[in-house]
Amino acid sequence: MKTNADQSSPRSLDKEQGQQRTYSKAGSFYGRHNLPVSLSREGFSISIDQVGDTWLYQRECDGDRVEKKLLTSINMVLINPVEPLNRPKEITSYLLVEFERPLMIEPGVKRRIFVTFPIEIGVFMSSKRGFEIIDILTMQKQKFTLYGNPRTGVICKYWKSSIHATEPQVDPIRQGVMRLNVSNVSDHWVEVTRAVFNAFGMKLFYSTDLVAMKATMKILGKYMAETDFSNSPLRKDMTNSLELYTSRKLIVTAPKFIMEQGI
Amino acid sequence: MRLNRVVYGDVTTLDLLSVILIFLVAVILAKGLTIYLRRSLKEKVSKDKLQIISKAIYYGILGIAVLASFPILGINPSGLLVAGGIFGIIIGFASQSIVGNLISGVFLMMERPIKIGNSVRIGEYSGMVEDIRVISTSLRTWDGIYVRIPNEKVFTDSIINYVAHVARRFGYMVGIRYSDDADKAISIIKNLIEDHPMALKNPPPQVFVDNLGDNAVNIVVRMWTPAKEWYGLKMEMLWKIKKALEKEGIEIAFPQRTVWFANEPDTREAADSS
Repeated sequence: MKTNADQSSPRSLDKEQGQQRTYSKAGSFYGRHNLPVSLSREGFSISIDQVGDTWLYQRECDGDRVEKKLLTSINMVLINPVEPLNRPKEITSYLLVEFERPLMIEPGVKRRIFVTFPIEIGVFMSSKRGFEIIDILTMQKQKFTLYGNPRTGVICKYWKSSIHATEPQVDPIRQGVMRLNVSNVSDHWVEVTRAVFNAFGMKLFYSTDLVAMKATMKILGKYMAETDFSNSPLRKDMTNSLELYTSRKLIVTAPKFIMEQGI
Repeated sequence: MRLNRVVYGDVTTLDLLSVILIFLVAVILAKGLTIYLRRSLKEKVSKDKLQIISKAIYYGILGIAVLASFPILGINPSGLLVAGGIFGIIIGFASQSIVGNLISGVFLMMERPIKIGNSVRIGEYSGMVEDIRVISTSLRTWDGIYVRIPNEKVFTDSIINYVAHVARRFGYMVGIRYSDDADKAISIIKNLIEDHPMALKNPPPQVFVDNLGDNAVNIVVRMWTPAKEWYGLKMEMLWKIKKALEKEGIEIAFPQRTVWFANEPDTREAADSS
């Protein structure tokens, strides 16, 4: 049985280091490509080829095959990570990251930790009005969960991650790294087992070997916290992803999430 | 045609034409604006909220047009209030059911036990809410039949809203043979649930031996799912469970009865000893 826990544990570190040569070319994967294009990685492939006057988009991922005809005059495609909330079906805008081990935090303390998150890859076609999404794929196992109770809670995309003190080495096609600044502004020791994030605030950045986000978690009490994202990259050489939720955001849509049903 | 011909009081033909023009412009503006809003907010606002916004804007513009036409038609709004009050009483007595439906419709919009797009059961009708209007609510049954229910009935009848809560639970009873390993069966079923994205991680699923039946060891399988996705999962999982169990040599039990005939003692003894 597959597990969606991140593979950056010490047990799997050797395997990852062995794979790093393969996926260190992620920089040539994410970004803009002129047509025709053909990209493949372990487990999936994407190609756009000219067939007569039209273009044929073909994608194969974990045995799932998609073919689409494209009528376009601008021969450019953009591939970048998007918010991991679209597959298998877009039913929520919340991501819940459960920590493998609970995190105990002292009152008044601020700490920086690293967790992982699943990657979904968006394929955008260029047009005169900008970029439009044509496909989203992922190599990760999908799972949903409920945060809170059925009446007042929210459905969230579920992901389990270890807590790391430093930036973990992960495959940027499959996992991203989130730098989480945790601060406990309450007067008690608090145990944190999970963090819930709102997709409307997510800011994804990518480079040749990393997909990353920066977030904050302010612990307000034993059962309450506030999460938010920062609009700056983890490293200077990173490129801002074209997100899906940000473009749909209204002025009234709050990007923060108040975790008031337990942390 | 003389445009300054007096129709009644100080109102001329030109005034009447102006009022018609105001209404035409208002309708075109209201329609245009609601279409624009529906297009631009389609992906940003839920369907039911969008309906309320567009209806409020549509009727708001028409209301402004009505108010704007009063001075042109020489109507005094304060006089209307008195006349409207009396008129309202008369109408109220004459059409109690319509007023009842209208008031119920207003309360339905305020209380909002159902929203457009919800899967519901109202009295004897089950289906998806297509529209909530001032007088009536329309459903599309699961067979695709249009049903119009007066709001008074909706308001006073019991309403089951299948998607009012974000998650719901459903379950099966799976009966396996006494000779099969129930622990193994439970493990197989739990793995299947874990592998399905729509079977929620939390609240956790429950799989356990519920009772030792006459013909089978009965295993209860319960799982939580997003309320809007439950039916698809329910249709999918039972057959998957059956196939997965059979693949591992665990069979679904069927009712059977062993009958011993009194004149066949040898057969019975042989069976007992085996």
